[in-house]
Amino acid sequence: MTSDTGRVANPTSLPRLLGPIRPRPRWQELRLLAFVGLALVVGSVSLGATVTKKFGLYDAPDLLIYLGALLGAHLAQVLAGRRTDQVLLPTVGLLGGISLLLMQRLPQDLVTQTFFGTRLGLAQVQLVWLLLALALATTMAIVVRSDSWLRRYKYTWAAVGVGMLLLTFVLGTEINGQRLTLQLGPFSGQPTELLKVILVVFLAGYLSENRTLLVEQDSRLGPLRLPPLPYLAPMVAMWAIALGIVVIQRDLGAALLFFGVFLALVYVATGRLSLVVIGFVLFLLGSALMAMLIDHVRTRVAVWIDPFADPLGAGYQIVQALHAFARGGLLGVGFGAGLPEIAGRPPIPEVHTDFPLAALGEELGIVGVVAILGLYLVLVERGLRIGAAAADDFRSLLAVGLALVIGIQAFIIAAGDLKVLPLTGVTLPFISYGGSSLLANALVVGLLLALSDKGVEAPPPPRVGSRWRRVGRRGVA
Amino acid sequence: MTLGPGVSRQSLGRTTIHVAVVLSLAFGVLAGAAGYWGVIEAPGLVRAPDDAAVIEAARTVPRGLIRDRAGKVLASNKTDANGESYRVYAGRAISQVIGYASNLYGRAGLERTYDAELAGLAGDPLSDAFAKFGANRYDPKNLALSLSWDLQKAAVAALGTHRGAVVMLDPRTGEVLALASTPTYDASAIADPTTARAVFQDLQSDPSQPLLPRATLGRYVPGSVLKVVTAAAGLGSGAITPATTFKQQPAAEKTGLLVGGFRVRDGHHPATGSTPLDLVGATEVSCNIYYALTGLQTGGLALVDYAQRMGFGSALPFDLPTAVSQVTGGGGSKPGGFKDEVELANAAYGQAETVVTPLQMALVAATIANDGELLAPHLVTSMTGRGGMRTIGPTSMGRVISNTNARAINAAMVQAVEGPLGRQYTTGAKVPGVITAGKSGTAQLGGTGEPHSWFIGFAPADAPKVVIAVLVEQAGRGGEVAAPIAGDLMSLYLKTPQ
Repeated sequence: MTSDTGRVANPTSLPRLLGPIRPRPRWQELRLLAFVGLALVVGSVSLGATVTKKFGLYDAPDLLIYLGALLGAHLAQVLAGRRTDQVLLPTVGLLGGISLLLMQRLPQDLVTQTFFGTRLGLAQVQLVWLLLALALATTMAIVVRSDSWLRRYKYTWAAVGVGMLLLTFVLGTEINGQRLTLQLGPFSGQPTELLKVILVVFLAGYLSENRTLLVEQDSRLGPLRLPPLPYLAPMVAMWAIALGIVVIQRDLGAALLFFGVFLALVYVATGRLSLVVIGFVLFLLGSALMAMLIDHVRTRVAVWIDPFADPLGAGYQIVQALHAFARGGLLGVGFGAGLPEIAGRPPIPEVHTDFPLAALGEELGIVGVVAILGLYLVLVERGLRIGAAAADDFRSLLAVGLALVIGIQAFIIAAGDLKVLPLTGVTLPFISYGGSSLLANALVVGLLLALSDKGVEAPPPPRVGSRWRRVGRRGVA
Repeated sequence: MTLGPGVSRQSLGRTTIHVAVVLSLAFGVLAGAAGYWGVIEAPGLVRAPDDAAVIEAARTVPRGLIRDRAGKVLASNKTDANGESYRVYAGRAISQVIGYASNLYGRAGLERTYDAELAGLAGDPLSDAFAKFGANRYDPKNLALSLSWDLQKAAVAALGTHRGAVVMLDPRTGEVLALASTPTYDASAIADPTTARAVFQDLQSDPSQPLLPRATLGRYVPGSVLKVVTAAAGLGSGAITPATTFKQQPAAEKTGLLVGGFRVRDGHHPATGSTPLDLVGATEVSCNIYYALTGLQTGGLALVDYAQRMGFGSALPFDLPTAVSQVTGGGGSKPGGFKDEVELANAAYGQAETVVTPLQMALVAATIANDGELLAPHLVTSMTGRGGMRTIGPTSMGRVISNTNARAINAAMVQAVEGPLGRQYTTGAKVPGVITAGKSGTAQLGGTGEPHSWFIGFAPADAPKVVIAVLVEQAGRGGEVAAPIAGDLMSLYLKTPQ
């Protein structure tokens, strides 16, 4: 690695934004991408052999466009000379590629959209979103050279987030008893996907500023030692917001995700298990209350406890998913050979959004499921590593939080698919069909890439009086 | 958890690692769950009728053939106008055993039990892991049955227009040779999509319940055939020996035996006079009083225990679903769940709350025939698929009573068929030229209805090759209706070269 003289020598505005154009090879990323390309080509040939009975790529143009885009994302970072993490892009690229193959394999009329007179099916729409997601992540990796726009305006971001939530409640479209989608003119999206990023930004800002106080001072509540109660107020607000999402939006998954990330970050920042335990107990109590009061939640829980009680009604979706895992067994039935159709439809309703893991479980087997879960752990591991190497607490917590958003979200939906937790409507990051989800997760990866860059702007000097931040930077500078 | 002021100097690394460990463990749980559904629960799920692959296979893949012990095809396939496959069966006599496979009305009988194998769905999640990659995913298995088509037809013909059941099996292996229930129905008409609807609706509303497999799911009062269970419990628990007699028995024959205010009555006293009867003598004339006294001496606990050893009290381990047989309804305060001595005394000769299936009574006879060790009944002897043949051998349900005790009951049952007095109760049960053992039963139903006619037995008595249980619903005395059917069918089986 060369020195950072280029950054230091270019304090002017535009070069400061983009940096000097000085290519820097990224061999590890290229090697991993070559492997990803090989894996996806093998998958596509396998799919082609099963579906068309011929040896060759299945729907070659789509796959080649996607592989080209991955290479483009790689080259863009090479040309920009960024020293960002080299594992994130190949990992995300593999997950996205699996998504593309899966969407090619499902009936194309599950989703159709017309762009400029051209009718696109499921795989093509997903390809468009994947390309946009790659572009977004890469652009963030290259362009973001400073974190002050996140660091300084954390309350503004929080307000934006809460505003979006309220807007969804007022203007949102209700689908399947859930009010998740916000439609503005021709654009529609699920604001909770963006909200999870905003949440991490806010928490990273709040916790890094108040970490000392949260750790060092005690107030007592019976046998429990707690931080000063005023500093707990934002946490309690968080708890209220999470449950508010459940009540207002009927979105159990987002509530679970937000609260999981929140508790994990509080623990990372304070090391106080008591806070996590209290939060967890409060969440359980709140959930139990919700389950008692709200039909929708109660049904979900009942279906979770025994889906086989009503295999053709409320439990149909999860029962069919479990059957798919069972048919797959250890090694699966092979790409394209599973999901026997009932009356021309895949057996699992909403397989492309809620149950891609079940489809992959049937066709790639337990081995495939474990491999895909492993990919998410790789993403988390890279994120945590970036957090550990970050220059200050804000960046650390931001990176850790972003990594956990992906990890916990993948866990929640995978656990729902496997009947470990009640099924909730969150997406499987980078694999489920859906633009909001892909773009939000691309935003997460883009931020992680930017945070991993050893050449970004140094964090602002710590405020007077917080001696611990200076100490925290030891060994990083 | 107390944290001193020094804690603020810690980096975030330690807590981050904790979170990473927790998340990794959580993902480990997911991998475990994938293994649970994909391996442990898989065999059940991939066979369930709700499974999408099962539904698809039912429409597109011809099912495996079913053959009898001589290789005669009992179930085969035809193709309808849409190219979908449907079942054709050899005849009505077999319907209660094989059942039907219909895309409208689901599955019954062996078609239901072996649905996954016949449809060719993967069985074991581990050993079949690679088989699923094959271009031909479905591997329908052909089933071979121990059943004899000729014997089955003869059994149905022998029952004629009666409602009833015949169970024949080989006591040495548990192989079921015939499993007839009447009335029968035309399973081919249910499988044929063009006739299914009308035929099935008629059958469902038929008061004679042709869809009920009486041999396995019919529950009947056994009457005197249950005395074999009482004898086994009495000898097995040591409450009696073959030489045991009851002093009060001859005197009680005329007036009836008073038990707890209830009189156990008999009808054979003119022939036996004042001599107290032992096991052989009492069995020959089917003495209710002897068996009531034996039951009381044995006690409810031992009676229930020995009945359970022969399969009472739970569904039988069998290829078809079976109803539960019982010697008492249970819930009473006396040992074994009996209400009082009256119930126990009546149960000991097959009245009171005793209810049995014909298959269960065949197993009782098989226990005696096989010298006290009971082999589990089974129908399917092998499955043949692409991967070759898998044979299903005999499995033991355990030893019920000792060899000696079984031989003592065997001798008593021989006397009941061959003895000068016994013959009068079991006319026609004897296989010509072969020593035959058996016990008839006439099950009183209370009220004015005719009793059920029962016979259980085996031949040749010294080295039994075939066991039979015959039940004819409300046909009168066991010796008059069921016994001749049993004799004819055992003769037919023993005459045919094996």
